[in-house]
Amino acid sequence: MSDQVPTDHSIKVVDAFDLDDELRSLLKPGEMMRDAQGRRHRLPRYFYEIPDRETAVSIRLSQHFGLNEFVLTDLKEAPRLQQFPRYVPCAVRVLAFYLEQFRRDVGASVHIAVNGAYRSPSHKLSQTATPHMWATAADVYRIGTTILRGKESIEKYNGIAEDLSDDIHVLPYGHVTGLNADDHVHIDLGYITVIPREISEDRMEVPQENRPRFAFEERRRRERRNGALPDEPEK
Amino acid sequence: MKLKSKPDNEKLPVPPQTDSVAASEISLYRNVLKIKKEHDLEELGISFWDAQTTIQWSFNADQYFHAASTMKLAVLLGVFREIDRGELALDSPVHVRNRFTSIVNQEPFMLDLGRDADPDVYGHLGKTLTVKELAYWMITKSSNLATNLLVDVIGIETIQFALDELDIDGVRVLRGVEDQAAFAAGLNNEVTANGLLKMLRVIADGKAFSEEACKEMLEIMLEQQYRSGIPAGLPKAARVAHKTGNISTVHHDAGIVFLEGRKPYVLVILTQFGPDKARGTAVADVSRDIYNTLAGLTYE
Repeated sequence: MSDQVPTDHSIKVVDAFDLDDELRSLLKPGEMMRDAQGRRHRLPRYFYEIPDRETAVSIRLSQHFGLNEFVLTDLKEAPRLQQFPRYVPCAVRVLAFYLEQFRRDVGASVHIAVNGAYRSPSHKLSQTATPHMWATAADVYRIGTTILRGKESIEKYNGIAEDLSDDIHVLPYGHVTGLNADDHVHIDLGYITVIPREISEDRMEVPQENRPRFAFEERRRRERRNGALPDEPEK
Repeated sequence: MKLKSKPDNEKLPVPPQTDSVAASEISLYRNVLKIKKEHDLEELGISFWDAQTTIQWSFNADQYFHAASTMKLAVLLGVFREIDRGELALDSPVHVRNRFTSIVNQEPFMLDLGRDADPDVYGHLGKTLTVKELAYWMITKSSNLATNLLVDVIGIETIQFALDELDIDGVRVLRGVEDQAAFAAGLNNEVTANGLLKMLRVIADGKAFSEEACKEMLEIMLEQQYRSGIPAGLPKAARVAHKTGNISTVHHDAGIVFLEGRKPYVLVILTQFGPDKARGTAVADVSRDIYNTLAGLTYE
């Protein structure tokens, strides 16, 4: 699926255990969290680091979806996580892939709502674990020129999403309360965790330590110390 | 100086021959009764305070009315309380979403966007507007959607905290707009003319949290786009920082009037009429009378 991504930029992958204390406390990498049914899920640890707004806008995760669309949040998100560099779990690419297929099948542009894709565990809407915290769910509020606010339109697009793949789960109209006040299609892929291929998982459970854990981390720390460019070849 | 009007059912007083504050008050009182009768108003509440003459005058000013959109002034106050405390920033983004929770049984509801004349806000559904933009549309075009979004952001209790901290009574804000379940349960926002007057005075005096906050609030209120109330009774050169309120049976306006060469005056006019009556020009007529009274006043 990555072959289809038309981007001129590479995205840096970070191990969230390697981030500063405040970011770790907000992103909660590797922590267990219960969903609404009481099932436990382990929060993602590997994130794309988005250095600035321009990069977020310019990077395409699929033909029609920019990275910026998956990190739109409002003041419900923790203030630190609204600042650049921003972080989004690596599974966001999988979501973009499926949304691209969804877009193809509905035959119109698909608009993700603010707070509708990645939401950190510190987001005010993150009371229990949801795939939004894995960047594997999207709330779509508009398709083409249709703003979704009626049962008919939401159920129609729910059906198209479900027909796309058994991997896709949608929530029924009125899912929050069962009453007539729904305004979006919720598409999710479940709790998918993506581990970048350069990562070795043998230390997956090791908590934050002062010493470097992976070669690329050691290099990154050295780069920070020396003020070297991130792309400097390993010595 | 404080003057209070007399009850409605008394005989009309005869104005004294000499021009004085007392004569002006009596004349104003007669005119107000006349307007109330002419427009067949069920209720009329007026309160004003003039910074130039220090005259405060009121008529039925402690009676509670349905607040209609004048409650949005209290929401504005709550927003600037949070900004002053550093809990919120004017440029904070807010998700524009048409789904709210009733204060009754926490039931969700949506606004009827067809009734809300604010495409500037609902055109952003699914996107964000800043706190400042929402505050602007809430006041200047009375956007219900912007109002409910801001109430959601700050919480209804914050609005009451803001009113309490500024010692403003006579303003009860229980909920956002178009909460039909709350309306059916008799839970409505209510204001008195004196309550709104107090609120506008603390803003006019620069005492609502900070001078900067008051300046921001005044700038927004000066951009009001509905001008059939208080401004309609004033010379065109008058600048009015105000907020109107209209539902089927009430028409209110509350504002601060800036005129060249004198200090401002604060004026609140609340009207209530029968369901079979159309909204008239009572508010503008009262505004005109008060302007004429102040303009012709010989202050000793």
